[in-house]
Amino acid sequence: MATSSEEVLLIVKRVRQKKQDGALYLMAERVAWAPEGKDRFSVSHLYADIRCQKISPDGKSKIQLQLVLHTGETTNFHFTSESSAVKDRDAAKDLLQQLLPKFKRKANKELEEKNRMLQEDPLLFQLYKDLVVSQVISAEEFWANRVSMNSVDHSLTSSKQEVGISAAFLADVRPQTDGCNGLRYNLTSDIIESIFRTYPAVKQKYRENVPHNLTEKEFWTRFFQSHYFHRDRISTGSQDLFAECGKLDEQGLKSMVGQGVRNPMVDLMSFEDKSLDEGYGISSGPSTSGHNKTLKENSNAAIIKRFNHHSAMVLATGLRKQDAQNEQNGETSSTDGNSKDSDFFQPSVKKVKLKESIEYADLVQENGRKAVSLNLKKSDRYSHGPTPVQCQQYATSQDIINSVNCIRHETADYTPRLTQVLSSSTANTAIAALSPGGVLMQGGTQQAINQMVPNDAQCELKHLYVAAGELLRHFWSCFPVNTPFLEEKVVKMRSNLERFQVTKLCPFQEKMQRQYLSTNLTGHLEEMLQTAYNKFHTWQTRRMLRKT
Amino acid sequence: MASDDELSLLVIVVDVNPIWWGQQAQREPEFTLSKCMDSVMVMSNAHLVMTRSNKLAIIASHCQESHFLYPNKHWKAGDFAGDESSCGSRDGKYELLTVGNDLITEEIKNLMERTEVRGQQTETLLAGSLAKALCYIHRVTKELEAGQEMKSRILVIKAADDSALQYMNFMNVIFAAQKQSILIDACVLDADSGLLQQASDITGGLYLKVPQKIALAQYLLWVFLPDSDQRSQLVLPPPVHVDYRAACFCHRNLIEIGYVCSVCLSIFCNFSPICTTCETAFKIALPHAMKAKKKKLKPTT
Repeated sequence: MATSSEEVLLIVKRVRQKKQDGALYLMAERVAWAPEGKDRFSVSHLYADIRCQKISPDGKSKIQLQLVLHTGETTNFHFTSESSAVKDRDAAKDLLQQLLPKFKRKANKELEEKNRMLQEDPLLFQLYKDLVVSQVISAEEFWANRVSMNSVDHSLTSSKQEVGISAAFLADVRPQTDGCNGLRYNLTSDIIESIFRTYPAVKQKYRENVPHNLTEKEFWTRFFQSHYFHRDRISTGSQDLFAECGKLDEQGLKSMVGQGVRNPMVDLMSFEDKSLDEGYGISSGPSTSGHNKTLKENSNAAIIKRFNHHSAMVLATGLRKQDAQNEQNGETSSTDGNSKDSDFFQPSVKKVKLKESIEYADLVQENGRKAVSLNLKKSDRYSHGPTPVQCQQYATSQDIINSVNCIRHETADYTPRLTQVLSSSTANTAIAALSPGGVLMQGGTQQAINQMVPNDAQCELKHLYVAAGELLRHFWSCFPVNTPFLEEKVVKMRSNLERFQVTKLCPFQEKMQRQYLSTNLTGHLEEMLQTAYNKFHTWQTRRMLRKT
Repeated sequence: MASDDELSLLVIVVDVNPIWWGQQAQREPEFTLSKCMDSVMVMSNAHLVMTRSNKLAIIASHCQESHFLYPNKHWKAGDFAGDESSCGSRDGKYELLTVGNDLITEEIKNLMERTEVRGQQTETLLAGSLAKALCYIHRVTKELEAGQEMKSRILVIKAADDSALQYMNFMNVIFAAQKQSILIDACVLDADSGLLQQASDITGGLYLKVPQKIALAQYLLWVFLPDSDQRSQLVLPPPVHVDYRAACFCHRNLIEIGYVCSVCLSIFCNFSPICTTCETAFKIALPHAMKAKKKKLKPTT
C-alpha cells in the first residue's frame, strides 16, 4: 500500500483500468491505481516519468484519462461513476495539470542545463568533443565538477529583474475613432497586465466575471465605458460593474493619507497651495476648508486625487511581493501602497538625517592616529646602485702620473687624419660582424614561432593543451590520496592520460614531423604528462611498500 | 626659410678619461685617443652632411670637468672669416666641417693640457656630462622657431669603468631623458657597463660593445648614424639582456628574491628582526611546530 509518509492528494473511486474496477490515488509524487478490494497498487507512475496526459473528447460516452510516459507507454483510466464521472475526471486532470509541470522540469532540467552549457561555451564544447566523444574519459567524470559549479550560477542568473510599470500605461491606450461615432481601444497583454497589477480590484472583478458572466471583450468594453475609467468619476449607482472599484479606491486613498509619509523631515500637513501672489510663496492666512471651494476647484481636486492615487498604485506594484492568491482572499488592505516601506523608518532617522546634512566628512578635523615617523639611520644606502663597492682596477699613483703625462704628450701633437681612420680590411670584418649571422647579430633575427607554424596547427595545439589541462587537473586533484575513491580515480586518470597520449598527442606529433621540421611543439605537453606518470609511479611504489 | 624637415640633434659624449686613455696608449698603441677622436669626427661630419638641418654637439667627459668641444661659446655658425689661421678649407671640404674639425682639435688639446694629476679623481664624470647634454638639448629646443620640431639623441662613447658613486645621478638623467623622449645610445670600448645598458633599455636606444676598437669608425657609422625613424627599417644588433636585479643593502649582492622592509623599503638578502636602516622591529610568526617534525621557519615581514 502507500507508504505512510506519502500524502494522498486525491482519491477517485470507480475508476476502471484494463477492464478492472478500482480506485485512483493521486499522491505527492506519483499517481497509482489499486483494484477494488485489493491492498496493493498494481499501477504506479511517478510524475517525473509522465510526459503528458490526455482526456477523451467531451462528446464521447466513455470518460477516460490517458497518461503518456516518457518511454512511450500509455495507461488508460476509465471513469465509471454514474453521477460524477466527468467531474471526477476533471478533478483528476486538474490536479495532474498542476503537479506534472513541477516534476517534469526536474527530470529534464539537468539535460537542458548541460546542453545550454555546451552551447554557450565553445571551448567547453570542444573539450567535450575531444575527451568524451573520443572515449578518453566518461561523460560522468566530465560533468562531475561542472554541473555542481554551474547549478549555483544558474540559480543566480535566473533571478531576473521584474519589469516595472510605466505610469502612463492608461494614457498610452490611445483610442482610435471607428468612423461612425465609436472608439476603438487596442489592448495589448502588457497593458492588461499593467492594469491588473496596478488595480488589483479590477483584477478581482475580472477573475469573478470572466469567463462565467462576460467574455473578455465585453469586460473590457464595460471597463472603458464605465465612469471608473473616465476622468470625472461620478458614481451612477450600483449598476456599473466598477462602482465598487471606485469605492475601494476611495478607501485605499483614505488609508494611504491616514498613514502619511513617515519621513520625519517632511510635514505634509503644512503644505498649502495658497500663495500670496505668483512667486511669493505660501500665505499663512487661515486655511480654507473644503466648504468654500468653487466648482472648478472641486473638479481639480478630484482629478488631483485620482492622479495621486494612480501614482501611488503604480509605485506600490513595485513593492508588492504577494501574488494574486492573497488578493483573492480579499485583503483590501493591500490596495494601499505604503504599507511596506514605511515600516523601515524609525525615530532615530530624523537625527541621522539632520546630522548628514550639516556635517561634511572632509572638513572634520582629523583626530588622527599617531603615525610612526620615518627615521632613517643609514640613508646613503639608497644611493648605491647594483654596482660593486670597489672598482675593479686599482691604479697606483705612479700609474696615474704616467698615464696623464702620456696622454698630454699625445694630444699636444694631435692633428686629425680623417682619411686614415679606417682600413678596408678592418671595415670588412666589422661589417661581417654586423651583418645577419655575424658575431653581434646572434639572437635577434629569430622568427617568431607563431609565424612559422600554420594556424590550424596552432588551433589544434591549443585544443590539445586545453584537453590535457583538464585531464591533468583531474589527476592532480586526487593527491593526496586519502580515500579508496581517490585511489580508484587516480588509477583511472593515469590510464586516461595514457589513452590521451596515444590517441591525440602522438598523431599530432607525427603530423608535425611529416609537415614541418624541428619546431618541438609538444615538448612541454610531454613533459607535463611525464611528470604525472612519475608521480603516479612513486605513489604506487610507496603504496606497495606500505602494504608489504 | 622654414623647412618641413624635422631637425635632428646629435650630442656625442666622449669619455676622455686621461688615465684610461694613457694606459690604453701603453697597452695598444694602434688605438689611442687620437684615433678615437678621428673616428668621432668622421661620424660627426657624416651626421652634418646627411641633412642640412642636422645639428651637432660634442662633449668631452673628463675626470675633472665636462667640456663642450663643439660648438664653441664664442663661435657663431657664419663666422668663418674670424678664424685667424685657416680661412676657408684647405682640401675643398664643406666649410662647416672644416671649421668644426679644427675647433674640436683645438678644444681637445686645450682640455688635455690643463689636466692636473689628482689622486682622488680618477673616474669619468659621465653623469655630469649627460646632464649637460640634456640641458643643451633643452636649450636648443627652446630656441627653435615656431613650428619646428626636433628629435634628439645622445651617443655615449665610453672607455673607463662605471662609477658607483654616480649611480643616483645617472638614474635621474636616464629618467629625465626618457621623459623628454631623448634616446641614449651607448658604444662601449672596454668593459660592459650596467648603467649604460639600463640607459639604452629605458630610453629606447642601442647598446653596443665594440669587439674591435680599431674599427670604431665603422661601427659608429653603421649602427649609430641612423636616427630612430631609420633604425626601424634596418637590421641592427638585437638588444642585450639587461640585468635589472637589485642589490641588497647589507652586502651589495645582486639578488632575485629577498626581504623588503615595509617601512623604509630597504632590501635585504636575509631576514633580520630589526631593519638596520630605519630600526623597525619585526616579529616572526611561528607556525605550530610539531615536536617530531622540524618545520622551516616562514617569517612574515
